[in-house]
Amino acid sequence: MHTRFQILKPFTSYHLPFTILVCVLLWSCRKDEVVYPTIPTDVTDEVQQGGLYVLCEGNMGANKARLDYMNLETGTYYSNWYGAQNPKQVKELGDVGNDIQTYGSRLYAVINCSHKVEVMDLQARHIGQVDIPNCRYLAFHGNKMYVSAYVGSIADPELLGSVFEVDTATLTITREVKVGHQPDELCILDDKLYVTNSGGYLTNRYDSTLSVIDLTSFTEIQKITVGINPTRVRADEQGHLWVCSQGNYKDIKPQVVVVGGPRIQTPCANISIQGTHAYILDNENKELKVYSTINYNLSPVTYHLSSFETPYGLLATADAFYVTDAKNYVSSGVLHCYAYDGRERWQALTGDIPGHLCRVGEAMHTDTTDTVTPQSAYISRVYEYLPGMGQFVNMLPKYETGDDAQAMCRKCEQAIANNAGGMVCLGGWGGYITFGFDHPVENLEGRDIQILGNAYKMSGNETYGSSEPGIVLVCRDENGNGLPDDTWYELKGCLYDDPLTDHHYSRTYTRAGDTLQNPYHNQPYYPQWITADEYTLYGAKLPSQTEKISGQVVQRILEYGYVDNKPNKDKDGTSFDIAWAVDANGLPVTLPSVDFVRVYTAVDEINDPTGEISTEITGAIDLHINN
Amino acid sequence: MKRRSILILFLALCAGTVFAINEAEQDSLYRLFQIEEVEVSARALTKDIIVPQTLKGEELQRLAALSVADALRYFAGVQLKDYGGVGGIKTINVRSMGSQHTAVFYNGVQLGNAQNGQVDLGRFSLDNMEQIQLFHGQKSDIFQSAREFGAAGNIYLTTRRPYFKSGERTHVHAQMRFGSFGLANPNIGVDVKLSETLSFTFDAEYLYANGKYKFRYKRVLPDGETAYDTTAVRHNGDVNAVRVEMGLHDYYSNTGFFRIHAYNYWSERGIPGAIVNNVWRNGERLWDRNTFVQAEWQDEWFNRWSTRLLAKWANDFTHYKNYDVKLLPSNNEYLQEEAYLSFANKIQVFNWWDLSVAYDFQYNVLDKQNLLLDESVEHFDRYSHWLSAATAFNVQEYLRLQASVLMTQITNHQSPITKPKFTPGVFVSFRPYPKIDLSLNAFYKQSYRYPTFNDLYYTDLGNADLRPELARQHSVELAYRKTDKKYDLSFSASYYYNRVTDKIIAYPKGQQFRWTMLNLGTVKINGVDAKADMSFYLPLRFVLRTRLNYTYQTAIDVTNPNDTYYKDQIPYIPRHSGSAVLGLEWTARRGDHYGFNYSFIYVGERYSQQQNTVYNYVQPWYTHDLSLYGEWGIARYRLKADLEINNLLGQDYEVIQNYPMPKQNIRCTLAFKY
Repeated sequence: MHTRFQILKPFTSYHLPFTILVCVLLWSCRKDEVVYPTIPTDVTDEVQQGGLYVLCEGNMGANKARLDYMNLETGTYYSNWYGAQNPKQVKELGDVGNDIQTYGSRLYAVINCSHKVEVMDLQARHIGQVDIPNCRYLAFHGNKMYVSAYVGSIADPELLGSVFEVDTATLTITREVKVGHQPDELCILDDKLYVTNSGGYLTNRYDSTLSVIDLTSFTEIQKITVGINPTRVRADEQGHLWVCSQGNYKDIKPQVVVVGGPRIQTPCANISIQGTHAYILDNENKELKVYSTINYNLSPVTYHLSSFETPYGLLATADAFYVTDAKNYVSSGVLHCYAYDGRERWQALTGDIPGHLCRVGEAMHTDTTDTVTPQSAYISRVYEYLPGMGQFVNMLPKYETGDDAQAMCRKCEQAIANNAGGMVCLGGWGGYITFGFDHPVENLEGRDIQILGNAYKMSGNETYGSSEPGIVLVCRDENGNGLPDDTWYELKGCLYDDPLTDHHYSRTYTRAGDTLQNPYHNQPYYPQWITADEYTLYGAKLPSQTEKISGQVVQRILEYGYVDNKPNKDKDGTSFDIAWAVDANGLPVTLPSVDFVRVYTAVDEINDPTGEISTEITGAIDLHINN
Repeated sequence: MKRRSILILFLALCAGTVFAINEAEQDSLYRLFQIEEVEVSARALTKDIIVPQTLKGEELQRLAALSVADALRYFAGVQLKDYGGVGGIKTINVRSMGSQHTAVFYNGVQLGNAQNGQVDLGRFSLDNMEQIQLFHGQKSDIFQSAREFGAAGNIYLTTRRPYFKSGERTHVHAQMRFGSFGLANPNIGVDVKLSETLSFTFDAEYLYANGKYKFRYKRVLPDGETAYDTTAVRHNGDVNAVRVEMGLHDYYSNTGFFRIHAYNYWSERGIPGAIVNNVWRNGERLWDRNTFVQAEWQDEWFNRWSTRLLAKWANDFTHYKNYDVKLLPSNNEYLQEEAYLSFANKIQVFNWWDLSVAYDFQYNVLDKQNLLLDESVEHFDRYSHWLSAATAFNVQEYLRLQASVLMTQITNHQSPITKPKFTPGVFVSFRPYPKIDLSLNAFYKQSYRYPTFNDLYYTDLGNADLRPELARQHSVELAYRKTDKKYDLSFSASYYYNRVTDKIIAYPKGQQFRWTMLNLGTVKINGVDAKADMSFYLPLRFVLRTRLNYTYQTAIDVTNPNDTYYKDQIPYIPRHSGSAVLGLEWTARRGDHYGFNYSFIYVGERYSQQQNTVYNYVQPWYTHDLSLYGEWGIARYRLKADLEINNLLGQDYEVIQNYPMPKQNIRCTLAFKY
């Protein structure tokens, strides 16, 4: 900011005060405020798998909820990771982080005093948010997220709280059920949801129950009395619920109540269940106690945390456990990682009140020089690749001994993701590939996705050429798990209503039937990474369009709606509109966006000498992204 | 010596108000409503050892300030905590010792808030204010009530007193102020002379503001690209307040007077709350009623023995309600009562030696009720006794000394009687040259900040075993003043070292989400204050006035070397801060004034929490305020018009993080007096 002013000099003998003023003004320049940085710190040389998210609560009103990330593979701790990934979020992550969990390919964080659940991808890039008043904790089941909240959508004079059901695909609230006072953690077991009613607002009249909610009817069917002021509930492998009851902080002491099991008299600020052990954080004696989830006995192994000021967060994982020290709540906390032999592996300085931890399987891309990747218009991921038998199978992409289906998907990505320009062959009829972008493709006005192939037209002829049509299917990540295991919809092409189109076709390929080698391609035609000796593909078969013209085997080019049918330079001819989507009964459906795209070879035909008709793919573009 | 001058001088010295007695005599038109002809030289013994910072009369009115809090920003060594807007809480922190170490005196009697120890200075209007003074340490006059020896820093607010010229019986002052945030602020004051010695004053004010203002958050990426740029409107910052004050003054003899003052304030306001992600408005409401009546009687016998009696009764009611359905619903009522008595005596043993003794007693009670949970009334009370002894003497003309000791004994609700605490203070002033107004002043003082009812008894958080927090101050000051027909200059620079121990802080209890209050924390404060006040009386009846302040402070936490914030600057204390005021006034031949006043305030970078990290960094802020005014005399009436533009460049800033301050805003005042 520039400060403009004029110096009035009417009385030269009195210019001292003016001079001083001028100095003051010049000295007081103010910079544009820069977003909070992320700061990487190397904390260890020890390597673990994946990464760890650390949600630091921050104090109420401070707007300092902070999501840090520990890359366990490089031993680097990144403060304010969310900020680096989402620098354009107005007023950052928010006020008071209260829970963090992953489900499917997404990361969910409850920001209590911002009254929202922040929805991110596993890299912590913002996808959306769900506004829920005074939300506390999360649980997931199927394609639903359950969120406990101290107040319902309409404040209750009795101060009862609610559990909200949220559709993870649309991020909208679908149902709400009123439970007890100030519900905290929740847990799902056998299609029932259990939520702790803490009564935390009613100092002298704490609640002491678990509400049991039937997930089908979404009604409270039972209340189980556990202990005064229950805040945490976790299920063990045996299907027992462990509840931490905090007592009244006066005469009634805290305890862990196993529903249908014993009551364990111990302070229990936090709990984490790993395998057949329940790890209980005794914050008063500053130790981590281990109980068997089979016979509830206290293990002789107790981890002493005597150097801690305020033991707070806890997460036990297969290879290590993590405990946080919240210190005095208003300054940086510390995250400690321990091996199960009690040895401290490393520690890292966190934000204020590191309360909630969440492990992710794969380490994030943590090159901070490029942390803000804009959405890419190109394929980012190949989820499935299963070609029909054919002369280019095991070649495009190349199979190497030891490759499994996942490895083949990675090779497909190398070929066609991120505009790589390579080619993937889908083989004979039914062979398919499923891919996605780093974002959902929106269904906007006009065509949405262009899918590239290797079709061409005969020179001087507009009607015929090399057309190996593939049908396009699309799918939304309805259950939010990041995998293409949801309902597929076909994009209706010009032959959809053709009487010769068989919508219920299938084909079984067998290893034994792999005898079709032609003179040009003599590698196995059966996908070598398939361990089974046969596989069957299902779908629609289009009628053959092959004709012989001037001695050339060519195909009639279809009007619209198929991959590898028109040359790539014909943008419209190779582009698809999500609005064409129909369901299994052929009825149109309106999809706001799609997460996954599948293409399969739609003609079942072998010609001499060109071999089987097989759809090839060389890439795909989200037409709504400009880059 | 004119009789009235003597009376006025006496009042000034005794009642704790210091008038600028050496000020060169200027065109009396300049000061129509100030005292005329104060021409006596005071007894050297009663002169200030600690020179207070003072804003008074016209100078106070010229500042673009609405409340006492706004005016206090122009004092050195003062940090204002301002939550923004007309109704936002404003408290001050003197020399980084914490706002509860600062006592605020209203016409000589301390304003109390036994519940949280905070006085919201944003509620005290400047319209009825004649003078604001800040003393570091204590007022260096040993004739004062015992409590006045008790705080680390003292602010004295003095309301307007009636002065009648011969033949005058009534003064009326009526004023209307409009401005941004929907501000409407009428004020009326009446002074009536009832007899030769007795007069009555009345002052009433209504303040309304809808409190809406635009604020903006803008952040950029490291490469300069805009990350976000959002402008929103502040909500729930409205305020509705009525203040009514009445006083009866009986200056019945040269030496004695009796005064009684009643104050009543009602208000309803929204608490706009912190702006955080996804939250752009809040729903907390606050209703207040503050009532007090105080009486003061003072006289002198045998020219040697002065006595003062003070009595006060206060009754404060607060109702807090949270309408925000998303948060913890609250509906609490608090009723505080205070009864206070003070008896002070001073004896002049010799012309160069004074002694004083004072005893104060105070009873406080707080009744708290949670209406929402329908719980029974919680009741807390406190009995406080203060006994002070002080002495002052001169060694020749150049050395003056004062020493005081205060005994404090506070018994809280149902607690056993505690041992009294003793706190000393020593003040020295050395003036080497009789003809040059250059002095070297120094003091050492201890003072306690006692735990409040909230610290002791707040639900689940209070700790009844708290000890008082101790502040030790060491300060040296070099002051120089030179007055001439053409100018009036005063400069001073002081260095201070303060140490606050047993600091009362909230600390986690070892159980989740739970805090307790503990005596944990030591803060070391080193600071320098530099001040320059300059007035130049220019040709053609122009007057140029400037006032410059600069403060450098380090206030570091030295509680525990293992803390991550060890030796970090404590929250919200800037290293650098300062202000500059520049005023130019022209007086026409017939006495009309025209002037403009420019003021600049700078507060340097700070941290919002104990730890000095980039995540707790708060940007410096600085504002430019401008006011233009004119004053006209028509027959025996005076008219005044004033236009203020505050935050002229529209800086988007925060004093407290997440509490955005208003951008450019204006106020316009029209006043009429006779």
